[in-house]
Amino acid sequence: MSAATAGWGTQLDQVTRRWVTDAIRQPWGLGVAIVQPVIWIVLFGNVFQSVAQVPGFGHDDYLTFLVPGILMMTVLYSGAWAGTGFIEDIRSGVMDRLLSSPVSRSALVLGQLVQQLMICVVQGVMVLAIGALAGAHYSGGAVGMAVALGASVLLAAAFCSVSAAVALLARDQTALIGISTIVVLPATFVSTALMPAQLLPDWVATAAKLNPLTWATSVAQTAMSPDVDWGLVATRSLWLTALAAAVAWWSLRAMRSYQRSL
Amino acid sequence: MSASAIEAHDLVKTYPGGRGRPDVRALDGLTLTVPAGTVHGLLGPNGAGKSTTTKVLTTLSTPTSGAARVAGQDVIREPGQVRRRIGYVSQGTGADQLLTPRENLVMAARLRGLGRAAASARAAELVDRFGFAEYADRGAATLSGGTRRKLDVALGLVGSPHVLFLDEPTTGLDPEARAAMWDEIRRLSGEDALTVLLTTHYLEEADRLADGLSIVDRGRVVAAGTPDELKATLRGDTLTVDLVEPDADLVRRVAGAVPGLDEVLVHVEGPAGRLVARTPDGPMLVGPTIAALQSAGVRHGAVAVSRPTLDDVYLRHAGRSWTSAETVEVAR
Repeated sequence: MSAATAGWGTQLDQVTRRWVTDAIRQPWGLGVAIVQPVIWIVLFGNVFQSVAQVPGFGHDDYLTFLVPGILMMTVLYSGAWAGTGFIEDIRSGVMDRLLSSPVSRSALVLGQLVQQLMICVVQGVMVLAIGALAGAHYSGGAVGMAVALGASVLLAAAFCSVSAAVALLARDQTALIGISTIVVLPATFVSTALMPAQLLPDWVATAAKLNPLTWATSVAQTAMSPDVDWGLVATRSLWLTALAAAVAWWSLRAMRSYQRSL
Repeated sequence: MSASAIEAHDLVKTYPGGRGRPDVRALDGLTLTVPAGTVHGLLGPNGAGKSTTTKVLTTLSTPTSGAARVAGQDVIREPGQVRRRIGYVSQGTGADQLLTPRENLVMAARLRGLGRAAASARAAELVDRFGFAEYADRGAATLSGGTRRKLDVALGLVGSPHVLFLDEPTTGLDPEARAAMWDEIRRLSGEDALTVLLTTHYLEEADRLADGLSIVDRGRVVAAGTPDELKATLRGDTLTVDLVEPDADLVRRVAGAVPGLDEVLVHVEGPAGRLVARTPDGPMLVGPTIAALQSAGVRHGAVAVSRPTLDDVYLRHAGRSWTSAETVEVAR
């Protein structure tokens, strides 16, 4: 009597557990993931303090404006490396073992994504806590913070899937370095994460409207502000959900493409 | 269920060469039959197609053409059914280095549908059986090469497979660990109904472990049979003469002219060389061979006569690839 195969839920659970355990056993990685946003809040918060005095800034203080942006930047900068685990698995042979066992390809891809999203939530809570300690005001209360974290999870789902897909297609760590420098850095500045749209040059403001980082930042900014624009929250969340679904599907295709290359 | 655990017919696998180079034909019509319950060795030089064969049979890789059944299931049409019935130990490590051996085993068991308690029991059983209880709860990264390889094999056995694929299980192990791994594989082969397909480029390993052997070269099976059958195809003895700074062409000409000396191979590596030839009666030909070499001015070292070994079978069928084509040439 040979064992058959586990249900999809069990598979997803096991794959997720594996990645979570891996993450916990690499405390340096986790530590960096948490320290990075702290540095940004302190650094940007101080360097750009005077921006709040610029006419047309439209917010009371820069720090309160900045926290949602930092929240989303954190997602982007750690998400760029989400595919690393797959490259390591391909290199070591773990991937071959898993693919030759009765495990659903979608569970392998999504289990890793779930772990990334869990890390994203931990980071997000840290960012909000540190922002509060530094003096940011979250007028939207608990609901506003929850909505902001939700937006960061949607952005993470999209971006970690991009990293996973690129990792599975390129199978090379340097490709991920490429994402982080060529995509993430410009995306940060062509967005409203650090600067409100009205202070950006016209072409940048136009491009920023198409940037998912801007969508997620606007959701978090309005959700944590005194008067929430729920219409904005709804539309941008919808766009982010659609994007995340599309990219997650691409990452599943990438897993199949990896196998075809064997 | 059919009596054959593995049936592969005319497998072809080509990989794109890339950048205008021609396609690489890793498998070129490979046919293989392995009876259930046996250990079968795929023997061949690096790049012969052993690993590609394993990848096709374990459903990792899709053949360009041809067909194969493993444990009664079609690898192309029913890959899921094949995966439930096999275990695969790749050349790399199959274990997550950040997990402990026990955690790796439990996870593999859970993924194969065992419940929490059953998975723990299965892990404990395998830890016990492979004798690494004292390392079972340490990080896998801290294990020695031999123990790590045992863990890989244990991971392959978690699902109680019908067919276990071992891709170069002892490459990189020290002699002691290799001997221990051989014991394990022999023990596995004693278990009922488990079929093992083993790839190796160690002749001794194949000779000791395999019930049946297929010698693979350039993507095809060039010879198959039991180790004894294969050796029996070579009648007579092997005569080996170590050479000092030989002129390969000269040696080949001189030795080829000695009556009774067949299939002369000259292998040169740096200043040293070796003459290997087949002969119906080795002891009788030592004298004439040495005399011929000396009269031609060829300096030599030790001379040996041996019964056919798997080495000789291998050399005969895959000799061109055994070393580079420039150093070995067959004079028939």
